[in-house]
Amino acid sequence: MPRKYVITLCDGPTCIHKRSKELETAIETELARHELSGRVSINLSGCLGMCAKGPVMAVNPQYTVYGNVTADDIPEIISSHILKNKPVARLCIDEDHLYNRFFRVFGDVNFFGKQMRIVLRNCGIIDPENIDDYLSVRGYEALAKVLTEMKPADVITQVKISGLRGRGGAGFPTGIKWELTARQKTDEKFLICNADEGDPGAFMDRSTIEGDPHTVLEGMIIGAYAVGATKGFIYIRAEYPLAIRRLEKAIADARREGFLGENILGSDFSFDIEIRLGAGAFVCGEETALIHSIEGHRGMPRPRPPYPSVQGLFDKPTLINNVETWANIPVIILDGAEWFSSIGTEKSKGTKVFALAGKIKNTGLIEVPMGMTLRSIIYDIGGGIPNNKKFKALQTGGPSGGCLSEDYLDTKIDYESLAAAGSIMGSGGMIVMDEDSCMVNIARFFLEFTQNESCGKCTPCREGTKRMLEILTRITEGKGQEGDIERLERLGNLIKKASLCGLGQSAPNPVLSTIKNFRSEYEDHIKLKKCRAGACTALTGYEITDKCVGCTACKKACPVGAITGNPKSLHLIDQGKCVRCGLCFDTCKFSAIKRS
Amino acid sequence: MTTPLDTIKKKRAEAINRILSKGYLSTKRVYVGMATCEIAAGSKDVMEVFESAIKKEGLTDVYLSQKGCAGRCNLEPTVEVVEEGKIPIKYGKVTREMARQIIDQHLKKGEAIKEWTIK
Ligand SMILES: Cc1cc2nc3c(=O)[nH]c(=O)nc-3n(C[C@H](O)[C@H](O)[C@H](O)COP(=O)(O)O)c2cc1C
Ligand code: SF4
Ligand code: SF4
Ligand code: FES
Repeated sequence: MPRKYVITLCDGPTCIHKRSKELETAIETELARHELSGRVSINLSGCLGMCAKGPVMAVNPQYTVYGNVTADDIPEIISSHILKNKPVARLCIDEDHLYNRFFRVFGDVNFFGKQMRIVLRNCGIIDPENIDDYLSVRGYEALAKVLTEMKPADVITQVKISGLRGRGGAGFPTGIKWELTARQKTDEKFLICNADEGDPGAFMDRSTIEGDPHTVLEGMIIGAYAVGATKGFIYIRAEYPLAIRRLEKAIADARREGFLGENILGSDFSFDIEIRLGAGAFVCGEETALIHSIEGHRGMPRPRPPYPSVQGLFDKPTLINNVETWANIPVIILDGAEWFSSIGTEKSKGTKVFALAGKIKNTGLIEVPMGMTLRSIIYDIGGGIPNNKKFKALQTGGPSGGCLSEDYLDTKIDYESLAAAGSIMGSGGMIVMDEDSCMVNIARFFLEFTQNESCGKCTPCREGTKRMLEILTRITEGKGQEGDIERLERLGNLIKKASLCGLGQSAPNPVLSTIKNFRSEYEDHIKLKKCRAGACTALTGYEITDKCVGCTACKKACPVGAITGNPKSLHLIDQGKCVRCGLCFDTCKFSAIKRS
Repeated sequence: MTTPLDTIKKKRAEAINRILSKGYLSTKRVYVGMATCEIAAGSKDVMEVFESAIKKEGLTDVYLSQKGCAGRCNLEPTVEVVEEGKIPIKYGKVTREMARQIIDQHLKKGEAIKEWTIK
């Protein structure tokens, strides 16, 4: 009896173009012919990163990768590999990409199989507290390669060729930032890893550090070599104790092994890293505020230019990148900048990590190639919306981002496409909302967050967001006035233009994007005093219909005694007493209570 | 002259040897998720069950390791049992009791518990 196998067939754009669909049919036919369908499953994956050798397929266990496969090769693969456990050597492509290992363990599960793991390549398969585990998966080899074979300028060239852009939100080309820092002539330069991660609900950076701290360190050390920095800082929020502990251990282990400190790996390059704890203010993730915070001042932004690359920490040139940006570096060096730039879209290369949350079946942390559609993320990886509810909106970019309606589901993950749709890539928050979510309320939630986090330095952000929040609050309370939508738009655009830092410049986005994509919901709230999602309590009423069987359950549930009625007869809600908590609605087993 | 690349190759060989000497080649390797999210879901308890079973019941052919979060948040705590040549078995929402049963049935008798695996 043959063993169980999973065939992962690349369903990425290049492979489809090279007729991978024919392979799928051929595999199915062959499996049926050998009556193997029950023992072998087929898993369609996103781009496997070997497009040049496409169409590509992998056979699990062992993750044997076959390249340039044609339909004519399939009978041989099935009869030799599957039936006799003899891989077909002539088709094997021996590409020891760093991320392949992850799929050897997880590749057969749909949720994982559709992803591509560069940043999270080791998360979930190695012991993050053991440097030996990292070394065994070619850890610190990229650093050694750089120190042995490359000049600092070569490293920068590679990062530029890779097309990597900053993953902290703004998407600035990483190679250009490095070049700018490298060009500065000073005695001292600094380097910072931004692990502040202030977006509510985001945990991409925490997970990366907790799962594979050394990859972040290795990226930083390579960056320091490239730009000539002598000292690095990791700015991380104090609420991440486990991540901090693992970083501390990783730094100590890396020092002991000679990857940090004087004369790294016997070269004449020296560099060390320290951890700095942040108190968790959102604005401290902004680079100039963060720098002030490390210097021991209050975390307040300052106008740019000068950019930190020119004048940063202690007025010295400072290279600052996000955790995820750093984690990409070792892979770019080892797997090659050209390879990296083959993944993704024209202007957005590589992958992006997202924290998938909200009304979605498979919540979690995912990493997908740029260019994947939002639809594919929500339905293929996320498994769709639970409880047969309808999709309503996708929020990306957290408090700086926007809400996209169903019309935008075919938008590709890419900095420019998301911006064109009215949201942003941001740092990776992704919240799915169903029909029960009120868009005005969501906008209010995010604005309340940014309003609270505004540092108060500049007036448009400090006062403007307060006024916007007042308007939004009154709309959700049923006190919206004619012209409020226009007022919000005018104020929002003003705040975007006149604020000093990115916090204020992006704070109106959740409001403006919901007005753009869900304007009628605002109008309902203001003109009809109705919240169709039933989320704004002040605008929601409850009524008992004649489906009522008189079970008395709601009467017992009502906290204010607003419901009257005798057993087995129709019940009634006293609208004067009702506080619109919705408890009766949730309690009734006979769908007899109507929300309006 | 030894280059950094020579040095790293030597270090990797040493690291792999250290891992092997800890029993990496055991028939079964067990990975328990230990990240903030996993721990919040109760993975420390699960880890404890595996640790004490390996110690007290002399499970010599099992290599136990912690791991970071693979990403399936709503199915945590997760545990993988990896055997060479087989598709790794991935368990989700593992409790103390389930861990106990995984030890008795999967680790000791080699029977994976299908109902608990992540599809
Ligand atoms: C209000 C505000 C909050 C920010 N928070 C973060 C953060 O938590 N993490 C981060 O990496 N970047 C954050 N940024 C972006 C940083 O200012 C900076 O652009 C980034 O760290 C640069 O790294 P990158 O090029 O690798 O993205 C924030 C920006 C603003 C305006
Ligand atoms: S925009 Fe807001 S957070 Fe930024 S400096 Fe002005 S007040 Fe402070
Ligand atoms: S819970 Fe429903 S069926 Fe029961 S009394 Fe109330 S409205 Fe009627
Ligand atoms: S599309 Fe198949 S490997 Fe890239």
